[in-house]
Amino acid sequence: MARINPEFTDELKKYGAFDPNACYNCGNCTAVCTLSDEENSFPRKMVRYSVLGLESEIETSLDPWLCYYCGECSMTCPREADPGELMMSLRRWLIAKYDWTGLSGLLYKSLTASVAAFVLLAAIVVWFGAYEHFNLANMMHYGHIFEFAAISLVLLVILLPNIIHMWWLTVMKPKVKAPLSAYFKAIGELIVHMFTQKRTLGCDDNQFRWFEHFILVLGYLSLLFTTVVLGWFETQSMFIIVLGYVESAVIFVVTFDFVRRRIQKDKEISKHSQPSDWFFVIWLFLMGLTAFVVRLFIDIDILDANVWMYQVQLIILVQWALIIVPFGKWTHFLYRSFAMYFHRIIELSAEN
Amino acid sequence: MQEQMKTLEYDVLVVGAGIAGGESALNLANIGYKVLMVEKEPSIGGKMILLSKVFPTLDCAACITTPKVSEIARHPNITVFTDTETEKINKKGEHQFEAVILRKPRYVDVDACTGCQLCEEACPVSVTDEFQFGLVGRKAAYIPFSIASPRAAVIDIENCILCGACERACPPDCIDFTQTEEKFLVKIKSVVVATGFDLFDPLKIPRYGYGKFKNVITSMQMERELAPTRPFNTVLRPGDGKMPDNLAYVLCTGSRDKSVGNPICSQICCMYSIKQAQLLLGALPMADVTIYYLHIRAFGKGFNEFYAQAQDMGVTFIKGKVGTITEKENGNLILRYEDIEAGVVKEAEHDMVVLSVGVLPHQGISEKFENQKLKLDPFHFIDQSDILASPAKTSIEGVFVAGTASGPMDIPDSILSGGSASAQTTSYLRKEEL
Repeated sequence: MARINPEFTDELKKYGAFDPNACYNCGNCTAVCTLSDEENSFPRKMVRYSVLGLESEIETSLDPWLCYYCGECSMTCPREADPGELMMSLRRWLIAKYDWTGLSGLLYKSLTASVAAFVLLAAIVVWFGAYEHFNLANMMHYGHIFEFAAISLVLLVILLPNIIHMWWLTVMKPKVKAPLSAYFKAIGELIVHMFTQKRTLGCDDNQFRWFEHFILVLGYLSLLFTTVVLGWFETQSMFIIVLGYVESAVIFVVTFDFVRRRIQKDKEISKHSQPSDWFFVIWLFLMGLTAFVVRLFIDIDILDANVWMYQVQLIILVQWALIIVPFGKWTHFLYRSFAMYFHRIIELSAEN
Repeated sequence: MQEQMKTLEYDVLVVGAGIAGGESALNLANIGYKVLMVEKEPSIGGKMILLSKVFPTLDCAACITTPKVSEIARHPNITVFTDTETEKINKKGEHQFEAVILRKPRYVDVDACTGCQLCEEACPVSVTDEFQFGLVGRKAAYIPFSIASPRAAVIDIENCILCGACERACPPDCIDFTQTEEKFLVKIKSVVVATGFDLFDPLKIPRYGYGKFKNVITSMQMERELAPTRPFNTVLRPGDGKMPDNLAYVLCTGSRDKSVGNPICSQICCMYSIKQAQLLLGALPMADVTIYYLHIRAFGKGFNEFYAQAQDMGVTFIKGKVGTITEKENGNLILRYEDIEAGVVKEAEHDMVVLSVGVLPHQGISEKFENQKLKLDPFHFIDQSDILASPAKTSIEGVFVAGTASGPMDIPDSILSGGSASAQTTSYLRKEEL
């Protein structure tokens, strides 16, 4: 027996959806979508579920994650129901749904809560700086420890349980009889999609979008590795120093372009920006830029005289690691690739 | 300039000589009012005279239109000005209107022309024939179409190379390149606006490939292919002249579609597509016809039976809006759509696709009213100020609206609307007389 939630579209509008109730079921969105096929009949199915308020159908579906938002459906929708933005909102709603802490939903729906969280963390970092009497060596030491601690805690305490929750909702709840072998066979899918976002290439728009995103992901992941494991801020190795510069530059150049597009709204994908989207691109931009400048200050030997710069970098880092990574848009990196993984597992189980 | 204008006096000015304007003019003329009809095209008869048959009776459109058109042309109380546009209309007082109209030169003495078509044979210039909706060509000296009224030649001066071949070939010597534009000041007591509608231009939906894929045509082009005065004398696909045997209709092309700026239903496309499908099954007995629809709106008298008849004849109806059309090397077309009843994406191959284009307002007439505002509705059709009690009334007292100038409607409704406009005009004119 399906349960319906009559207030579901109102709830969804808080996550950015435009007007799914305008849909008159012509199927244009599904027909123009270059990623749709007989197996993935979207986005109309999701529009239908949303209009009807079939929450359990949506939370057990991977479809929102299989859409890569070229925007063709929204541009050609005869009712301006904006199915592309609906799929985006469903992804935000799912992020909130998977999150066991409930903080994702709070931050998505309330700008005040998001701003308060950012201010609070900034204040704590400033207080910490003052506590250490703005001693650069101490601050950098604890900063480095923080990186390790944050990564492992966020992964183990927040993200891992959420992924398991996602798996439970999308694979176990629909009673997919997946043999253990399927989990091994499908693992390639997870790796490929996590590091290449290959599916975006199936979208019929600019391939440049895929390329930008691809080098951004590579830049971000390798900068993380370079700072945390290779110790970019402490190293004397010329190779690592240059590597870090290149990686951080890639991040702020690409994200600058992303911000520019969101301001200019020149494409369907960049037309509707929720606060969570702004936080994500701007903080990623600031992460790249501040890391670059901190290392530059070290290289021209003025960081000791300008501890505030490291302080700024640390604020951005803490906000990023404790708000955006565990509860914000960063999670799409994991959910998208795990969705492809689970999707493959379900396919393999059906073949059995 | 003002002094050179000839002054004309009539009781009623009817703007637009389609079926609705024609009905109004005839009714008014029959009870004794003097009517001036202005028509921007070189022939009267509007769009209906170009159609094949009409739904739901399958009567021949020309057989209904041509007697009416002849009656209008010969009526002692009706004066017809073709190639004429209204420049401005001013209300001077109750039952007092002044209009300025501009008659463009036809370069042919219409009264002397016998319609022998020797000028057409002589003319060396070929251009696309707009009255056959681009299916074939015509000459720069031409008769608009075989049942045009007046059936007289026109010189298309835009494309004419002034070689004089038509002039030399013309037996009654009726071609006259010295004609110039004429302006008239028309004093009337009332105005009927019957400016009709425009068809949606499917070039605005590039994913349907109209203009790029030769075997994608509009419903008006198919209407010409099926008409008694049709250009090919059979139904052919334009790409290679092959007789099609698997045709598709794409309904709601440019109607009920906010993304192209026209959110409303055109009211006629479902029915004319069903009609064309039935005619096609007669013209091409071995052909399959599939109609892709969103919702079939068969709401008029006899319409639902007509729809059922098409189903019984073997027309396939598939619920789902066609998303994209792609062309194969052999000119066949692949339609991608979601089969709504099955809930899955499907692709189907057809050798000819007809886009059932919608109805758009024919804009421009409201700006001609200078001292009073002729209000438009949110969709730019003429606003009916009292739609239930007096449907022909507009925002200006003494100006009435007939036919599709007020919104999408089919032929029976247009004629009804024309009748209503003439009745309300009569009642307005009688008020002065009493």
